[in-house]
Amino acid sequence: MRPNNILVASALLLVLGTAVAQARISIWDGVYTEAQAEHGRTLYMQNCGRCHGADLSGTFEIPPLIGRFMPYWSGSTLDALFDYVSTAMPLDHPGALGPAANADIVAFILKSNDIPSGAKELSASQMKTINFDPAKPGSKRAQK
Amino acid sequence: MDRRHLLKNSLAGLVGLSAAKPGTAAAQTAAVSLMDRPPKLLPIRAHPDRIYDIKCCIRPFRTKGPRLDIEHIGDAMVVHNYGHSGAGWSLSWGSADMQVQKAMARSPKKIAVIGCGIIGITSAIMAQWAGAQVTIYTRELFHRTRSVRANGSWTPASHMALASEAPSNLGDTWERMTRISWKNLRPFVGMAGDPVKFADHYYLSDTPFDAAPPPPPPSPVPIPEYYELGDRVGDITAARQTLTPDINPFPVKYAQRTTFLFFNFSEYGHVLMSEFFARGGKIVMRDFHAPSELAHLPEKVIINCPGYAARDFWKDKAMVPHRGQTEWLIPQPEVNYGLTYRNVEARSKSDGIMMIDIGAAGGLPKGYGNSNEVPDRAEAERAVRVMEELFSRFPANPV
Repeated sequence: MRPNNILVASALLLVLGTAVAQARISIWDGVYTEAQAEHGRTLYMQNCGRCHGADLSGTFEIPPLIGRFMPYWSGSTLDALFDYVSTAMPLDHPGALGPAANADIVAFILKSNDIPSGAKELSASQMKTINFDPAKPGSKRAQK
Repeated sequence: MDRRHLLKNSLAGLVGLSAAKPGTAAAQTAAVSLMDRPPKLLPIRAHPDRIYDIKCCIRPFRTKGPRLDIEHIGDAMVVHNYGHSGAGWSLSWGSADMQVQKAMARSPKKIAVIGCGIIGITSAIMAQWAGAQVTIYTRELFHRTRSVRANGSWTPASHMALASEAPSNLGDTWERMTRISWKNLRPFVGMAGDPVKFADHYYLSDTPFDAAPPPPPPSPVPIPEYYELGDRVGDITAARQTLTPDINPFPVKYAQRTTFLFFNFSEYGHVLMSEFFARGGKIVMRDFHAPSELAHLPEKVIINCPGYAARDFWKDKAMVPHRGQTEWLIPQPEVNYGLTYRNVEARSKSDGIMMIDIGAAGGLPKGYGNSNEVPDRAEAERAVRVMEELFSRFPANPV
């Protein structure tokens, strides 16, 4: 490859890489709205609270959705959680809820774990682009 | 203890009020040897207020039988070891032995085990015995796994697969697992604390045992036809013995006796975990959500023991939930037998009198296809009341 072509290819890679990096956001970037989480709360109480509890703390047998929930689910993208909620839950009727309802429930779970809300609603189609970071990227906790 | 008090409160003593007393002419004519008659049996205090725990779990039934194949995820070799239905406690050592041999074929120094139920912990220990350094990755420690919410009895033939989907060699594989498990359990029998224990078990019936059962209720879904294992391990299984009326200590017309082996969760779990840690085993608390995540583990040989969680973790659609619930009454160490009556089974374990409604014979197995893991108090009380009614038939203590 001639030097000029290498330069162009490198620039292209840089642009593409930057685009991908920009497309990927974090759960800490305000990925759901307050109204959505509130609707998610209602759905949660109707479909999930019987097992996981109104305060999401679970039971001896049923896993909590707060506390250790964060290290257990962080490290991947949000679609891992969304897919699990969509296909495995509610445990006695797996897959009973639709994508919008499950997105709302995920929003409520994020809010319950002190993940900040934002201006845009969380949708099923964007789950793959959201990193489930254990702490806000760049924060002191994340650097530890 | 006052011997008169003991006699008055023993079932043998109570039955003595209405049946032949030991040593009388009637007793000596018993069809079963006098020495082999049931010993004094103390009553189970079966009352709903004595329920101190209700445990519920999902058996990892797999229509194709236990998953025991090898799969490669990136540069990691994954040896599957899950889907043992209601036989995990029984088959664990035999299944672990088979799968660890496959894992060791790569001569790994380190092995990862996914899951810390009875299949996971026995696989981990078996891998340690084979010389590997083992790390268990699990979202729950042993005492909080579904395994410890099971019945925990020697039931190796509990619904292994659907007849239409079972591999052709399942019978041979199962027999090998069963026999190796049996051999590995031997050292735990007689150990202090009775982690694994034999006890007599009585089957009681209001109708002759060979009478046709009532027709099962209609089923909303097709009734599963299970793979038939046949009588392969009769040589290590105690037979049932019919108790003639003169030596039947129960107020029920028909009785049979056998001897079962069962697991005491607390002691057995403690022994297993102690063995694992004593051999340098490590536990990492974490959850997995996709098979691809296993490729990032430092260990490149992995024994995968997720139990029912494989349905979603591995997207294994052959996994079918099968709910089971046990109710636990305050321990009665003086009760050294179990019994089954009107589809309720009771066993006296070190951590409580365990009862379970096993459902009627025939028809859809109780809990099949049900993945609800929330304990049902009403079901628990119904089971206990069956036993309460049985024991209420004994004459009142004439103090």
